[in-house]
Amino acid sequence: MTEKKIKIISFLCNWCSYGAADLAGVSRMQYPADIRVVRIPCTGRMSPKFILSAFREGADGVWVSG
Amino acid sequence: MDSYTKKIRELASNLLKDNKVDMVIGFNQGTIPMATSPQVARTPEQALEFVWNSNCSINLANYLSNQKGKIGIVAKGCDSRNIVTHIIENKISREQLHIIGVPCTGMLDKVKISSSIDGEILSYSEEGDTITLKTKSSEQNIVKNDFLASNCETCTHRNPVIYDDLVADLVTEQKIDDPFKDVRKIEEMDSDAKWNHFENLLENCIRCYACRNACPLCYCPTCFVDESDPQWVGKGQNNIDVRTFHFLRAYHCAGRCTDCGACEQACPMDIKVRDFTRKLNKDALEIYGWEAGLTLEQRPPLDTFNPEDPDEFIK
Amino acid sequence: MDKCIACGLCAEKCPKKVDNEYEEGLGKRKAIYVKYPQAVPLKYSIDAKNCIYLTLGKCKKCEEVCPTKAINYEDKAKEVTLNVGLIIISSGCKPYDPGEHDIYGYKNNKNIVTSLEFERMLSSSGPYGGHLVRPSDNKEPKKIAWLQCVGSRDNHLGANGYCSSVCCTYAVKEAMLAKEHSHDSLDTAIFYMDVRTHGKDYEHFYNRGKDESGIRFVKSRVQNIVPDSETGTQIIQYIDETGKRQKEEFDIVVLSVGLCIGNESIELAKKMNIGLDHYNFVTTNSFEPVKTSKPGIYVCGAFEAPKDIPSSVIESSAAAGMAGINLAESRWSLTKTKEKIEEINVTGEAPRIGVFVCRCGTNIAGVVDVPAVVEMAKKLPYVEFAQENMFSCSQDTQDAITDVIKEKKLNRVVIAACTPKTHEGLFQETLTNAGINKYLFDMANIRNQCSWIHAEAKEEATEKAKDLVRMTTAKVALHAPLEEPKLEIDQSGLVVGGGVAGITAAQTLAQQGYHTHLIEKESKLGGQANNLYKTWQGEDIQTNLSALIKSVEKNDLIEIHLNTEITGVDGFVGSFETHINKNSKDETLKHGVTIIATGASEFKSDQYQYNEDERVITGLEFDKLLVNENLDLKEKNTAVFIQCVGSRIKERPYCSKVCCTQSIRNALQLKKLNPQMNVYILYRDMRPFGLREDLYTEARNIGIQFIKFDFNEDFSVNSEEDYLQILFTDTSLRRKMEIKAQLVVLASAIIPEKNNKLGPLYKATQNADGFFMEAHAKLRPVDCSTDGVFICGLTHAPKPIDESISQAQAAATRAVTLLAKKTMNMQGTVAYVDQGICSSCGVCVSICPFSAPTFTKEGRFEGKAEINPVLCKGCGLCVASCRSGALHLKGFDTNQIFAQIFALNDESDKGSTNTIQVYKKDSAEAAV
Repeated sequence: MTEKKIKIISFLCNWCSYGAADLAGVSRMQYPADIRVVRIPCTGRMSPKFILSAFREGADGVWVSG
Repeated sequence: MDSYTKKIRELASNLLKDNKVDMVIGFNQGTIPMATSPQVARTPEQALEFVWNSNCSINLANYLSNQKGKIGIVAKGCDSRNIVTHIIENKISREQLHIIGVPCTGMLDKVKISSSIDGEILSYSEEGDTITLKTKSSEQNIVKNDFLASNCETCTHRNPVIYDDLVADLVTEQKIDDPFKDVRKIEEMDSDAKWNHFENLLENCIRCYACRNACPLCYCPTCFVDESDPQWVGKGQNNIDVRTFHFLRAYHCAGRCTDCGACEQACPMDIKVRDFTRKLNKDALEIYGWEAGLTLEQRPPLDTFNPEDPDEFIK
Repeated sequence: MDKCIACGLCAEKCPKKVDNEYEEGLGKRKAIYVKYPQAVPLKYSIDAKNCIYLTLGKCKKCEEVCPTKAINYEDKAKEVTLNVGLIIISSGCKPYDPGEHDIYGYKNNKNIVTSLEFERMLSSSGPYGGHLVRPSDNKEPKKIAWLQCVGSRDNHLGANGYCSSVCCTYAVKEAMLAKEHSHDSLDTAIFYMDVRTHGKDYEHFYNRGKDESGIRFVKSRVQNIVPDSETGTQIIQYIDETGKRQKEEFDIVVLSVGLCIGNESIELAKKMNIGLDHYNFVTTNSFEPVKTSKPGIYVCGAFEAPKDIPSSVIESSAAAGMAGINLAESRWSLTKTKEKIEEINVTGEAPRIGVFVCRCGTNIAGVVDVPAVVEMAKKLPYVEFAQENMFSCSQDTQDAITDVIKEKKLNRVVIAACTPKTHEGLFQETLTNAGINKYLFDMANIRNQCSWIHAEAKEEATEKAKDLVRMTTAKVALHAPLEEPKLEIDQSGLVVGGGVAGITAAQTLAQQGYHTHLIEKESKLGGQANNLYKTWQGEDIQTNLSALIKSVEKNDLIEIHLNTEITGVDGFVGSFETHINKNSKDETLKHGVTIIATGASEFKSDQYQYNEDERVITGLEFDKLLVNENLDLKEKNTAVFIQCVGSRIKERPYCSKVCCTQSIRNALQLKKLNPQMNVYILYRDMRPFGLREDLYTEARNIGIQFIKFDFNEDFSVNSEEDYLQILFTDTSLRRKMEIKAQLVVLASAIIPEKNNKLGPLYKATQNADGFFMEAHAKLRPVDCSTDGVFICGLTHAPKPIDESISQAQAAATRAVTLLAKKTMNMQGTVAYVDQGICSSCGVCVSICPFSAPTFTKEGRFEGKAEINPVLCKGCGLCVASCRSGALHLKGFDTNQIFAQIFALNDESDKGSTNTIQVYKKDSAEAAV
């Protein structure tokens, strides 16, 4: 059985989580390649519309972090 | 209720007579039983057509958006709370308004009544708590409190929160032990049950936007559903777009909704759209101790930036 | 070093493992390494002592693998001579080493760790990946103890007499974090002498730890730890509150080690010939808190005294400012300006996108199939050109990109490489050099957030890289050239409040060469300091205050406005207009920056017979008696100081910080006046923090009685004819006590002006206690979140004079960093309003933390919102809040973010995911 490929759209705050995701890279932490990061200037920029449209595009999950 | 009607007519016609206002917004009898209709009176004579009964559930604050001049308005508890929100959100100024406050004893659920009565209702009258309905073949008395609209059953702000005149003495507010029982029930469902609940809930939506049009909170020059650049939501009937419309409409009401019930009353498909707004009302109350439209001093919690915002939800 | 691109291949291949100092020896690193992942600049270096090639002459593995030939084994330490006018020392401190005089058995027990080691243990990038485990056997701990004052407040050999000031708060933090990290309910106990959480908001933090997190606080000085070799636990014996001896086992014991001065710092101080005290801290004067004994040399941070991060950052600004005063004349004299390249107008052109995919040596290309990404990019809409680069950031590639942009007439650029956090600026410059607006650019992060973290999943990483490039390209197509608003800065400042902080701030601004208005509502300057007697170091406050006042009075650049109230404020950073009422006359002052230093007042109790009996006075009133050299004081037989009157209570949960020291100093003064006098200090926790501990020691030696009273029991002061009766419960004796005294001094809280009207006027927020809030407690401790407004002194938080002064100097210095620029280039990524569809509801106006949106005052769009681009920080709160969709954010606009989301799936590659493609056509694409 093949594993289903999943996609998780991540909306990351430029000032914290996006930088943290970069640092995870510098530290070579390994994790599954399922996330697709969208950089936003602040989680205050986040609109429910983005979440809904991400699901509409077939995203399996949405992660907002900031 | 006749005393209410009398007082409203008297106050409204005096306001117009004395040129204190350019118009008064109230209700007239309507053309069919149990369906009053909003009316704008510009002359004292027109004001004499005003009525008040337990079918005046339409939220008149809706007619205030961006009006010019001095306006008199008949307002029960929920209307007055929406007037407060309108003032906060610059839709009208307090100085423009003369509010005829109506201490409310609840409005009727027409669907509930007509489904319990055989035959077409041909006439309607009310006396205290007793409502008399006539059909072709019979005359029936029902008790008003058994047929209240569901939002009126849990209402704890029946008295107007701001007013310039009152048509009667203030009424005693209801004490409700668990005002959000219905919401809790949905919250407690497992995710499959929840999914089914909401799928069934929106199944019949025809996207007529009557809920939006009836809502005094929806006054944007261009609603997001009508916007094409960017197009926030598709115009068709597919499930995702229907849900998107309802979710976003509810979000736009978060912290602002007074649970006046106008959306549900307006829905031709009898969709319980208040399931969404009531959940947000519950959250606003539990997280921020907030009920919309009770004060002119403060903007709704989601309108403000506060570094000390309670942030439990983020953990 | 210039060639190193921090790919990390060298460290990966280096065969030599050594203990990692940054992980406090708990983890390993290689002989070629970066000290920690956040290091700036992020460059690898060789540890010559451990490098196999440099020690044994063989290896050179790193040279073999380095893709940029950055390895230089010949690199040596160089001696460099710098000619400077002034020096600032910030050499800091080092943690106390509990292994030197090892009374706890720290060296031989893995489960006894220092607080710094514990920090690493908690860190997700630390030796245990953030999983809280017992070092001896990697089992999850059930109980952890913290022992406070290890190496501090201790006169034994090798330890230090002073309080290290920061350990109580960090222990609370560590215990809270440990509880959050733990899967089961973790028991945490902090063994303390006094809980000293005296910094701003620290008391709230302590209360949270105690009441919400359930950390146990045990007042007991633990003398030794007995390890149990069978269970791996540590046994601690102590006396509990009821006086009973207790024995408890802990999995981990954390030693809350203090701060002390390292030998290098002492050597440095000797070389520079600056004075050190008996603990080797740099001696300073309370009125010149960052100035060393040697002219031209300034100090900041923990080399001056043990202190926390906010105080250190404040002092660093103060020191920079004080040094800068001497350099004010030569400002900008060494600055070079860059030649400006004419920008090509691309408005109206269809997008012509260039996509450059970086191989980053093997960093990206080793995992991601870069040619495949390029091939995919070539087929994307509007892409005119796509190619791969070996190192996109190298100078020759930059030049090549510039040429391609010109040659292919590209008007949008995507670089798929590392991260915009480090390289956005560099690539934007490339665009600028090619004559293209720098905002017509974006990056796809395919290194840090792709190849580096999916090293083993090449196929998936390639798919992800394609998605990211596609998403970014879709976004960039919608980018527009942006202008950066320019702001002229009025070359003057305004300081509100004429107390010590305000005067110092005004003085500092003027010394830096700026015209300054100093506003005071009273008829004289000085504020609360007019009542104060001496600093804890014994400096006379009145003498110093009058010297300070004189210096501002005779400074031509300072305009002092006494009897003045602020009635209104217009404008914003760079061009404030403050309306004042001065001696009943209205005036308007223009200024570029604002410093709020409105101070605070002393709490007046309605208990303890205060106001009823004149023998009961407040701490400040007592100081005033000393200032006036009141002789009656000598005649008293017994005096009692009651601490925390109005502080650390439910209505006022904060600590007033200064009262413990003030009471000790005044108690000592009483003893000096009359050595026979009985002097008592009744306290909850004595908090003479830092070097002030010496004063506390002195007071105890001289016979002043310190009694810890039980806060939860009744406490009363009763007036009798000959004496005041003080009734309370002693916590050590656990019984009721009575003292008969002739004088009671209430060490009363410092209270800020709640709902200070300056708050809304200058858009500065006050916290729940009523103190003004800084933009960031650690990083921007004197800035308000509103640009151009700064805070200092008691209006920010309770603090002693030396801290008020350094904060005032810091606030003025931060203000100067704005003034000195003369004009400011703001960012282009700001919000704007489509006024045609604005509903005037005012959400944006209400929600913006920076006051950027306002209602248009006149014209066709009167009443609609508009954004002041100068104040906008581009956070997008307003955009997300706008129900009408009238707000837009340049650079992160709704359609741009939608474009990214809509490009999640490859249209040409249907069926690759479970996407609901059918829905897409009917609506979504319209947004692009």
